[in-house]
Amino acid sequence: MGIQDIIEGKKQWRAHKARVKALPADYRIVYEEMQKYLFKVGPVDLPDGPLLPGIVDFFEEGVAAGKGVLEVTGNDVAAFCDGLIQDSPTYADLYQASLDGDLGKKSR
Amino acid sequence: MDDLTEMLKGTLEGCVLEIIAGEETYGYAITRRLNELGFTDVVEGTVYTILLRLERKKLVQVTKRPSEVGPPRKFYALNDAGREELATFWTKWAYVSSRIDKLKKEGGR
Amino acid sequence: MKFWETITGSDLSREWKAFEARAEALPDEHRAAWGQIVSHLLPHGDFTGRNLMPILDGALGLLEETAADGQSVHEVLGDDVPGFCTALAGGEGARTYRDRWREQLNRNVARKLSRLGG
Repeated sequence: MGIQDIIEGKKQWRAHKARVKALPADYRIVYEEMQKYLFKVGPVDLPDGPLLPGIVDFFEEGVAAGKGVLEVTGNDVAAFCDGLIQDSPTYADLYQASLDGDLGKKSR
Repeated sequence: MDDLTEMLKGTLEGCVLEIIAGEETYGYAITRRLNELGFTDVVEGTVYTILLRLERKKLVQVTKRPSEVGPPRKFYALNDAGREELATFWTKWAYVSSRIDKLKKEGGR
Repeated sequence: MKFWETITGSDLSREWKAFEARAEALPDEHRAAWGQIVSHLLPHGDFTGRNLMPILDGALGLLEETAADGQSVHEVLGDDVPGFCTALAGGEGARTYRDRWREQLNRNVARKLSRLGG
């Protein structure tokens, strides 16, 4: 039960949000949009995994290097997101696989 | 050179492995190295996604170290599996580039 | 509510109760969207509900985040809730949706960053 653990105000999540808030506006905007996208796509290891805090780590380094957010992500932020989750299955993948499994059983 | 993104796909991971093999280093420095090399289109984010993948595939050892100018940085070093992967990459690269050179020399007959 | 009847098994209904409690805490508009999502996802295939839980969990999480950010449901789900649900479950047309989300992401980023600059 990952996501709700995160959402329901666990300490880590609050600390995470606070870090996001502390980012410069351009980084914050891109982070929020990325997170929305990732929630929709739903990679399985999103909830408790290191992905979201990792993005903030990465962004903080960009800030420290004095770079603008699109300089570090590239203009195609969606492609950056897809690269991040390239090899992690999504909930939809698992769901589809479970349907295929059921069909397989029936046809036998 | 610009517009290499498509062509670099699949080889960039090997390049990153090679850079890490030289010395333990971190993402932004790796990007800088690739930019200096002439891959000017490569941004930090591209390297970050590659490092994430290398970490998931357990090809690198990651150590967090404090930095003078900002938050702690993740430093990457190759482990045995990573060195093996890098050797495989160079073997494959040598093969592909020799075949392509041959094709260029002999033409499409 | 219909979906209560569809779900059997006590551990599943416990999860449902947890969902319901979370949905209660949402603003009206978001709670209504949750109801819509549930009713569109449930008939989505031949399943026990078990494999759908993570997807619903994700959708609810998205609504919670949206509400917490003070954003409207429309901004996140768009006009086509059934289509959105299909995409969540990875069914037919999911790829199209993923592409649309992708475009939406880049468009939002461009729009909000330019507002920042100007």
